[in-house]
Amino acid sequence: MNKVLGFFRHLFIPTETNNYRAKSLHTDFLAIYLIIAFFMSVVFKKVGLSNVLGFATDISATKLFQLTNQQREKDGLSDLKYNDKLACAAYQKAQDMFNKNYWAHFAPDGKTPWDFILNCGYNYEYAGENLAKNFLFSDGVVGAWMNSPSHRDNILKSNYTDVGFAVVNGVLNGEQTTLVVQMFGKPLTSPIAQQPKSSPPALVFNQEVKAAEQTPQSANLPVPINKTTNQQLVTANSAPKNAFSLPAITFDVNFIFFSFLLLALVLDFYFAARFHIVRISGKNLAHFIFIFFIIAGLLIIARGAII
Amino acid sequence: MEHLIVHLKKELKRHFFDYSLLITAGIFFLVAINAFRGERFLEFTILLAFASFYIIWGVYHHLIDNSLHLRNVLEYILIGFTILFLLKIIIIP
Repeated sequence: MNKVLGFFRHLFIPTETNNYRAKSLHTDFLAIYLIIAFFMSVVFKKVGLSNVLGFATDISATKLFQLTNQQREKDGLSDLKYNDKLACAAYQKAQDMFNKNYWAHFAPDGKTPWDFILNCGYNYEYAGENLAKNFLFSDGVVGAWMNSPSHRDNILKSNYTDVGFAVVNGVLNGEQTTLVVQMFGKPLTSPIAQQPKSSPPALVFNQEVKAAEQTPQSANLPVPINKTTNQQLVTANSAPKNAFSLPAITFDVNFIFFSFLLLALVLDFYFAARFHIVRISGKNLAHFIFIFFIIAGLLIIARGAII
Repeated sequence: MEHLIVHLKKELKRHFFDYSLLITAGIFFLVAINAFRGERFLEFTILLAFASFYIIWGVYHHLIDNSLHLRNVLEYILIGFTILFLLKIIIIP
């Protein structure tokens, strides 16, 4: 027991044995941390190149589907049904953004979100789309949508009955990007409504509710999904259950490391002040401020962007 | 705890400008990373800039404090780059 205590004292408290500086903050230990961090970045990069599903983020369509319905239940709304045609439309939209290198609801060539929905054979009365990119976790995506009034309206719209998701990794503007596309819809049911010319379908696109500018064409058969090497599709039906979550691990490793470093800095700072130790070393307060801002930045980075 | 607070106050009072500079840079870092949220390359560039500033700040601070030593410089470089590599895993996997 004394040996363990002595070890921790040597590791965290400035004493004569560690030259009055916590051993965990000595340059040799700091060099070891750097080597471990470098090794991790190289190893994870290699794992990422082998296309492990969901490496870039820990987002799954299953989780997004659950969280979306949870939000609707909280508002007393009926659950949305998962629709493969909307998932197909979401995937095609994501793939289109990668192929044409844009990040918007409307493609540069004028293609609209509802074009993808119709192409996948979903004749809608109402339709809507939410987009997100570069989030780390599913909770963050739905949380950000719920914090944005227009996206929140889409999730909590009683007109919708179906939903489909696509979580696709690819290269956008030269960087590895994870796109999340959420497509909402309500199918045409009444015979009158099935005549598009007399009753143009409504499109709900974030906050704006407007009729489709073009008359929907007859529905095509779902377009087969072509998977490319740098893009991966995860649908609610095919999302791996209990998959090995590398992003969650890296995120946790970061937090554990930062906590360890902060603990070492605080203890060393406290005991150095208490014992009135004068020494040549870096300023713990500066390290502490730097790590504080880095942790705050990490929390912002995890949030990604939505439109 | 009293020792810590007294020491903190003394340290902040003695180097008010230096710490203000570091905190201001930290605030700019957060504002910039929030403004370019979702743009991974820019996020990493901002992080790299902040880590570099922190190392330069360390050298500058110890230089005017007359306590510049190779070990100090190494300490700032090692902490800065360790954090840079760790965050790189998340930002650019």
